[in-house]
Order: sequence, then C-alpha cells, then structure tokens
Amino acid sequence: MWLLPTPLRAGARGRERSFASEVRRLKLGAGQTFHGETVLAVAKALLQSGVGYLGGYEGAPVSHLMDILSDAYEPLLKPLGIHYESSASEAAAAALLGASIQYPLRGAVTWKSIVGTNVASDALSNLAAAGVTGGALIIVGEDYGEGASVIQERTHAIALKSSIPLIDPRYHMPKVVDLVERAFELSEASHLPVFMTLRIRAAHMTGTFECKDNRAPAFGPDNPMLKPHYDFGRIPLPPSIYEQEQAKFAERLPAARGFIVEHKLNEHFPAIAGSRLGIVTQGGVYGALMRAMHRLGLADAFGKTDISILVLNVVFPLVPEEIGAFLRDKDDVLVVEEGNPPYVEREVAAIAQREGLRCRVRGKDALPMAGEYTTAVMRGGLARWLTQVAPGPVAERVAAHQGAIEEQAALGRKAMGHRVPPRPPGFCTGCPERPVFTALRLLQDEIGPLHLSLDIGCSTFATLPPFNMGNTVLGYGMSLASGGAVGPAMGRPTVAVMGDGGFWHNGVLTGAANARWNRQDAVLIVLENGYASATGQQPVFSTGSNAWGEAVKLSIEATLRAMGVRWIRRVDSYDVDRTLDVLRAAVSRRGRELRVIISDQECMIARQRREKRLKAETERAGKPAFHARFGVDQEVCVGDHACMRLSGCPSLTIKPSADPLKAAPTAYVEEDCVACGLCGANAHAAGLCPSFYKATRWTNPTPWQLLKYRIASGLISLMGAS
Amino acid sequence: MSTDRPICILIGALGGQGGGLLTDWLVEAAAAAGYPAQSTSIPGVAQRTGATTYYFELYPERDPPVPPVFSLFPDADGLDLMAALEPTEAGRALGRGLITPKTVVITCANRVYSTAEKTQAGDGRADLGGIMEALASRARKVIYFANPPGGASSVNAMMLGAICKAGVLPLGAAEFHCAIEQRAVAVEANLAAFERGLLLAGANQAPVPQKQPAVFAPSPPGFSDRMGELPETLRPLVGHALARMIDYQDRAYAELYLARLERVLDCERAAGGGAPVYTLSQIVASRLAAWMSYEDVPRVAQLKTRAGRMARIRSEVGASPGDPIEVVDYLKPSREEFQDVLPAWLNWIVPKTAKLNRGVPMHVSATSPFGFATLKMLAAMRRVRRTTSRFTHEQAAIESWLGAIIDSAQKDYELACRVAELAIWARGYGKIRARGLLEIDRLTRDWPQRRDRDAAGLKAEVECSLFVARNDPDAACRPTA
Repeated sequence: MWLLPTPLRAGARGRERSFASEVRRLKLGAGQTFHGETVLAVAKALLQSGVGYLGGYEGAPVSHLMDILSDAYEPLLKPLGIHYESSASEAAAAALLGASIQYPLRGAVTWKSIVGTNVASDALSNLAAAGVTGGALIIVGEDYGEGASVIQERTHAIALKSSIPLIDPRYHMPKVVDLVERAFELSEASHLPVFMTLRIRAAHMTGTFECKDNRAPAFGPDNPMLKPHYDFGRIPLPPSIYEQEQAKFAERLPAARGFIVEHKLNEHFPAIAGSRLGIVTQGGVYGALMRAMHRLGLADAFGKTDISILVLNVVFPLVPEEIGAFLRDKDDVLVVEEGNPPYVEREVAAIAQREGLRCRVRGKDALPMAGEYTTAVMRGGLARWLTQVAPGPVAERVAAHQGAIEEQAALGRKAMGHRVPPRPPGFCTGCPERPVFTALRLLQDEIGPLHLSLDIGCSTFATLPPFNMGNTVLGYGMSLASGGAVGPAMGRPTVAVMGDGGFWHNGVLTGAANARWNRQDAVLIVLENGYASATGQQPVFSTGSNAWGEAVKLSIEATLRAMGVRWIRRVDSYDVDRTLDVLRAAVSRRGRELRVIISDQECMIARQRREKRLKAETERAGKPAFHARFGVDQEVCVGDHACMRLSGCPSLTIKPSADPLKAAPTAYVEEDCVACGLCGANAHAAGLCPSFYKATRWTNPTPWQLLKYRIASGLISLMGAS
Repeated sequence: MSTDRPICILIGALGGQGGGLLTDWLVEAAAAAGYPAQSTSIPGVAQRTGATTYYFELYPERDPPVPPVFSLFPDADGLDLMAALEPTEAGRALGRGLITPKTVVITCANRVYSTAEKTQAGDGRADLGGIMEALASRARKVIYFANPPGGASSVNAMMLGAICKAGVLPLGAAEFHCAIEQRAVAVEANLAAFERGLLLAGANQAPVPQKQPAVFAPSPPGFSDRMGELPETLRPLVGHALARMIDYQDRAYAELYLARLERVLDCERAAGGGAPVYTLSQIVASRLAAWMSYEDVPRVAQLKTRAGRMARIRSEVGASPGDPIEVVDYLKPSREEFQDVLPAWLNWIVPKTAKLNRGVPMHVSATSPFGFATLKMLAAMRRVRRTTSRFTHEQAAIESWLGAIIDSAQKDYELACRVAELAIWARGYGKIRARGLLEIDRLTRDWPQRRDRDAAGLKAEVECSLFVARNDPDAACRPTA
C-alpha cells in the first residue's frame, strides 16, 4: 500500500528497457561488424574515442543512450576507467564538461534538446568562452517533428550564439560513428565544445558499421592526472572575457573551419554529368531529400543524381571557401534547412553576394519555414524550386510525378474522411497518477474550477482527454513557480502538480523554495512514483538506488521539512476518497504558506515488472498466490460511461451490450487489468453505478483457505448462487 | 537511372502492443538473408498507450556494391505494406494518404477503443465498417486476421506470420523463424503465434462486426392477443420488454407497460403517421422499458445474485474448477438508496446526516455467505417497491413524459419523436439521475399550455436539452450548472 521497502524499488534492472544484452555489442573489437540502433552505435563510437567521462540527463529521443550507459557502467565503463554520472539535470551534465577546460580529458554528455540545452546553457556559455583542452562533445536528441513532446525550437541558435560547432550527420551508420570520433578531434583542434544532433527518427534507426577497438582514457583512477592547473585566461572575469570572445573568432572558429576542410567532414556528391543546379543540405535530412528526388525521377535508389549536392555534416561553422567553390559554377542553389530561422540559407546567400557570384540562392521560398522536412515536404519543395529554376521538360516531368503521387494521397484522404478518432497518449493501465487527477476533477466539481499548473512528465497527459485539465505547462519542475502570480490575481490558491523527476530536476528550488521564500498561498502535489517514468523509469534521487544500482536515497519529505515547509500530507493515490479530503483541506486552508501533498505510489509499469516475476516464482514454488482484476456487471451498467470520463484507463473499455434495450455499449474491463483499485475507488468517491466488482482467484491455496472457501461456496449455492 | 526502389513497410500500433519487437524481427530476418534494410521508430511519449508507428525499408537485392539510400519517413503512395495491429490505425494511415493501390494492408481486426470513443455518453464508436470499406476501395488488397481471446500478447508474432504470407518481402518462413529465435523473446509462444498468423492471413477472416444483431427474449405467455394487435416490427422488442417487466416486478407491471405503449401507439395510428415503421412507438417501447426497469437497490441486488454470475466471473478470472475465488462488490448507498427499500411512510427512519447524504462506501463480498445473503435480502425487497417514494416519483415522471409525447403526436409528429428521446435523461444513479429527472420535469411540466403559448420555443428547448444530454454528459456534476 505505502512505499515499498527500498531494496524492492531499487535496481538498475528496473527500467522499462534493459540494454544488458546489447551492452555486449559495445565490446566488439577492430574489424568486427556492429549491427544495431543509432544510440547504441553512438555509445560504441564514444568508447572508441577514448572518453574519460560521460554523463547526461534522460529525455526522448536520447533516453535510451542514458539507459545504455547506465547498463554499461559496471561491466564496461568502470573497468575501462571511464567516469559516469547520471546527472541531476542538463545543467549538471554540461558542468561535467568543465573537466575538459583545463585538462586533456575527453568527455561527452547527452540530453534532450531544445529544453535540455536551455537548462544547460549557462554552463555551455561559460564552457565555450573558457575553451576546452580535451575534446568535449554534447549529443543532443533533437526533439523536433512527429513524435516530439516539447516546444519546437532547434539547437542551432544556441550553437551560433555560443560559438559551439554543430554536427548534423548524414544518417548512414558508418558516417555517424566516424563523425562522433571526428567531433572530439574537431573540439580539440578548435578548443571549442561540439554539439552533435540526433533527430527523433534517427536515434532509433538501425544500421551497420565496422568496429574499432575501445580505447581507455588518457587519465583515470588507475592512471591519475597531472596536478591541478591554474590559468586566469580560462576564468570568466575581465579582462579574460574580452580575450575569450576575441579568441572565438580569431582562432577557434577558423581552426574549426580548417579541420572541417582538411578532414572533409562535409560531403560533395557531384552530378552525374555536371549541372548548373545544386542543393546544399543539412546532413540529417539527406535521406528524406534523396528519397524525394528518387520519387520525382531525379535520382536513383543509390543517390546518383543530375543535381550536385553539398551535404553539410557540420552546419556551424560554415566554411565560406567550401560553399563559394560549390556555388561558383551553379546558376541556382537550393538550401535545404529544416527549422527556423534559416541561418544556413542566409549565410550561403551572404557568401554568394560577398564573392560576387551570380548564383541564385533559394530555400525557405520553396520549402516551408516551420515543421519537419519529411519526404512529402521535400517533394513539394523540390517541385516548386524546379518550376522556378528549370522550367521546361525537367520541371514538367517532376510536376507530373508529384501530381500523380499527390492525387493518390488525396484520394486516400478523401476515402477516409474524418472517421478515425484521434489517439493521443495517456496514462498507462493502473497508473498511480490517474487517481490524483480524478480527485482533482471531483474537487472542482465541488468547489468550482481551480488554476492548475502542470509540469513536464507523464502528468502532462492530464491535459489530454479524458481529464482535459491544466491551465499552464511551463517547463520541467516549473509548475509551482508558474502559478506564483496567478493565485493573488484570482484570490484563491493555485494548485501545482509535479512529478518526483521534476521536483528533483528543478522544482525543489525553483518551485518549493521560491514559494516558501515568497510566502505563496499555494498547493503543490508531488507525484512520487519513484522514477522518471515518462522517459522509461530511470531512477531519481528518491528511488532508493542510482542508475547502476548503488543504494543512495534522498527524501522529498525530509528535504521539504528541512526547508521549513510544515503542511505536508502523504496520500495513497489509489485512495481517491482520502486524496479528495486532503486536497479539499489543502485548498480551503488559506494563508501565505505552501501546502504539499505527496501522492505516494509506485509507477505501475515498474511495479508490474517486479510483481509478475515474484508472483511467477511464488507459484512455481507451490506457495499460495492470488490474481485480482476488476470486472463490470454488464446488466447493471447503464452505458453512461461516466466511469471512463473519470479514468481513461486503457483496460477500462467498452463492449457491445447484449441487451437490446441498451443502445450504448456498456463498460468492460480488459484482461490486462492490474486491479489498482481505481474503478472501485471511483465508484465510491464519485458515487458511480454499482456495476464494478473486484474478483480474486487464488492458486495453491492452503488447506485452511480451501476449507473455508468450500464451506462458503456450499452455503451460497444453497441460496441460489451459481 | 534505375527505377528500382526499396520495399517500404509501415507498422501502425498502440504503445505496448509490441510493434518494436515486430520491427526487430523484420530487421533480423533481412540481415540473415543478406538484404540491406533499415528500420526506425518514434520513441518517447507517443508510446504511452497512444498511436505510434514503426517504419521499415528493405532493398530487394542481396549485398549491392553501393549502399542504397534509405529514408526514415513513410511517403504518400510509397508503401508496399501497411501492417496495423489495430484496424483504425490502418485507417489513420489511409487518412494520411499513405495507402494507395500499390499497398497491401494487413490488419488485426480486433478493436482497441480510443478514449474519445469511450468517453461519450452514448455510442461514440468509430464507424469501423466505413473504415474497412474505405481501405478496401483504395488498397491493393486488405487482409484481416482476428486475434483470438487471450491472444493479445502475441498479436505482433501473428502479424509477422501474416506479413510472411502476404509475400511482399523476399523473405520466407525459415528466415522469420530464425529471426524469432535470434531475438530470443518468448520464442515458443511467438513461433506458435507466427504459424497462426500464417494460417489466418490465408483464411482472410472478415473483421469482427461492431453491431451484433439484437437477441430478444421470447414474449412471456398470456400476452399473445394483445401482442397480435401490435405492428409486426414492434413485437420482438415489446416481447423482450414484457419479459423484462415480469423479471423486474410482476405481471401487473408488464401490463402497465403494455397499456402505456398502447396509448402512444393508438395516438400514432390516429395521427396517421408511423406505418409501417412506427418510429415513435419504437422509441417509446425501448425507452419506456429501460426507464420502467430503473435500477434501484433491489434491482441491482437481483442482478448481482442472479444464477450464472459466479460462473461468468470464474471464467473471466480464469479460475479452474477447484480454485477459490472472491468477488467484492463496490456499493455506496446514500439516503435515497435506503429509501428505495422502505415504504414511503417509513422514510423518516433514515437519519438525515451529512454522511448518509454523501453515501456509505461498502465492500460487499458476494462470495461470502453473509454478503450473499444480504444481497438476496435486498433483492427480495422488490416486493415493497410499489410503496416506495422512489417508485412514485419515477412513475410520475414517466407519466408526465408520456403526456407530453401524446399531446405532441397529435399536432407535431417530429416533435413527439424528439420528446420521446428526452428519456435519455433518465439515466445513471444518484445525483446524475436526479438531475436528469429534473430536466425531464422542467421540459414536460404543463406541456399543453406551454406548447399553445410558444410551440417553436419549446421545440428549440427540447433540441437544446437533447444536445446537452449527448454532448455534455457531466453537466450535472458541475457546480456552475
């Protein structure tokens, strides 16, 4: 019922996806062939680069890179002498790169961008200004386009303003791996940290490459470093700061450009027979571009084309000589640049202008300013561009291909119409966060609407059906702080909801300490489910153990108490009645103080993973075990579906009614019900219909249990039960 | 320039259905056979029970000298195969323009309803028939397979079998077997499911229809004369309703039902409308039966102690004959529910406390002798039902509603049908039902006078009320309402 004892909750094996078996592939040696996903390939490339330290913060699309490193820590990283941290936030991860400022230590960190980069940018600015000695690489998961879960911005702007070279690799696995290794050399050559971006679909792309041996770092626990190094030139105080700014443009970026040219990081694919047309593209969208050209009859399946292509695997800094040479013999060039503003296009146009070239540069006039560059988007852009620059047979042929494809697509869309209901994500079966929002709904039914600030994490799903709750979402751990000015303006306290992940990432200071300091009249609900669940159940500070299984635990409640928060209540989130009472008390208790409710139940995915295994073991050992699930009496259900509007549980669904007097389908509980108890608790708390029941089956009953059951079932049979 | 191209497969799934493993099998099989291939997926929140996709490309030439350029995106008119683990996900791909006459569609026919479909108060289910027709009209071929009950966990392996059978990829069963073994996840179960998929895809079953034909209970004896006078189309429904009334209360109650219906039918006949469908009487016959068998405490107890319930639950939880089970019912009687089982003149003995107003949460074990006996006793209280205040209240509301229907039928047949639909408000329990009955009362009280005064206004009000009933089912729960 309450939090399970620490050893049960902890463990590196607790995550949604274990990479324990994949980690073996990280040990492959020179000449062996690696086959697998990009995140794993990148991890392998890091090991081949001789990194001394690794860190990061989980977040799609690179959550699994963190999971891989955590699983690899004991068997691989530690023996190699590589330091690994599962960082408290992206800021902590970026600060870890500080090791490369004074010392020749290679290191890499990873996080989700743009949000993680924003959190990290204080440290990144200082790092880029101080400059690095050892290669420092930041692998960002670019959460842009279909499947993204954050605001749509790109990392490019951060790279520009801090002078951090940005690698956007062509997604061909050997190329990606090579560029990871080159990134460290680029960083060391330019004394700048380097970004490498992995788009959503690229992070889990599969591919093959030939391995090299892993390299131990230059320094490590078995081979300690030189002495601490003092150099005021690396300190962000005047006059160093002015020198650092000058150095970026006088030395570091030129050195980066030199390295890019020397090692041919960008790729030039000339046209088969020479062409007056050219395309400059980011490496990351090359695949979609080539597929679009293939479909329009402009290229074959292997990327051979009649249009010259310059693939920018490094999108910042650009090399004017390289761009100029590409433009020189072209009449028209299209810049394919996903995201905005169009930095690359502007710079390419400026180079053409500066060098007095008559080449016409286009980009965002043919392709859209915003949104992901899918194959379909590329097709449209290419067709538009070609009608502008190559009117005549080529453009006509392309338009015919494009027209035929779009016609087929339109026929499909028309045939389907709007028949398919949307299917946004939601809380999992038995999720302990769901009942909290049920209670919040019931509270608002009682006392009227409240301003509810939500946070980043699974709890953001409350903004989707069936709850449709939450007035603002402002960032990770920011929910409480974002309501600060709302409460006074409304004359009633606001309610903020935060997961334990968000609490430790940022919310403890930005939210709770800030609210206490400013004496806010506010209610904070912390959903303590034990993990960063949305990203795959990575441990957080209060889980009980760190990412590789060492016991260490920080307490949310003790931390808040130490900060002087006095009104703290713990509730069992499945007990909706009690949660509702506590919520009511917290909201109605007025006064300039923070009230905190800790909703205490473990993430159901993690809990099921463990309990299923234990139950199977118990059963195999012949000991008594029980299996429970909920059910609905279809004859009693009125088909009003109020229970589903208060739940949204995937396993609580509908089934055609067997009774011809009931037009609507009735409620039905699927076999995957985990008997979390919410259906029963809702039936009570919301006064729903009496159709729910909980059914429990025992296996391997004790003789005493069996006897009791036989007597009881005999008696009820006499009363007519069957 | 070469016209050859990769074979493109999109997998549409819901988070947790195993689409990732299915994609892994395809990748393994391709690698084993020496074909260049690439897959990708969309990680992150999309996989938390929402709709997600996996995408796979295979170049149909073994070990080409230059690697082909693969794409990470499915493209319009570019799919050779759409594999949907849920049928509306195939529809979603069609709606995105991805499925065209070059696409073979394989879909698991079992529905997994979306939240949007589940949360509507009535029947909010998507039009599956329409989706299937649209798919059939556009795709090269549509293959269905129905996942047997309990087979949810292996639907991905069945799909792999179906993909193998479809013959779009240059890969055979041996390569897929090998992939399943290589990937080493529940190998035996998945191999078996793969074989089932091979077979079922060949059989190409039709999708499970969403609307099953209604099964009517036979009419109870003794009503044949009066039944004979009813229009043919009404008889099965009325027979079923009469059986329900007898089960609910007694024979006299069934006669009351029939008499009420006959009043409406006579009126409909007199008004000259109706034949041969008798729309108004159809609506009233079904709504009146549902309303007259309103679920009070004795009715719920009767249903919960009905013969066969334990056997049904035992099979639901998969209990073998000897396994002990326990069934706990969640009840929360409040003052009104206590009054359900008391004659009106005894209502005073139910104390007027706040706690009782809110209701008393109870866990009643239907498998314990005491719990079952309690339910049996409550079920027996239907004998005093006629004397309860609830009964009086419900019957008065029914009469008021019928009065409004009959009055309208003579003047405005359309309106009468809409008023009949108003019985949708007589639904649910407790607060929801009380609010619904109030709404019916508000609209039907003093009906003839109000209709004389402002027929158009009244009509508009009825429409508005029906709209709210269908689209804002929880209006009753909000304090502002």
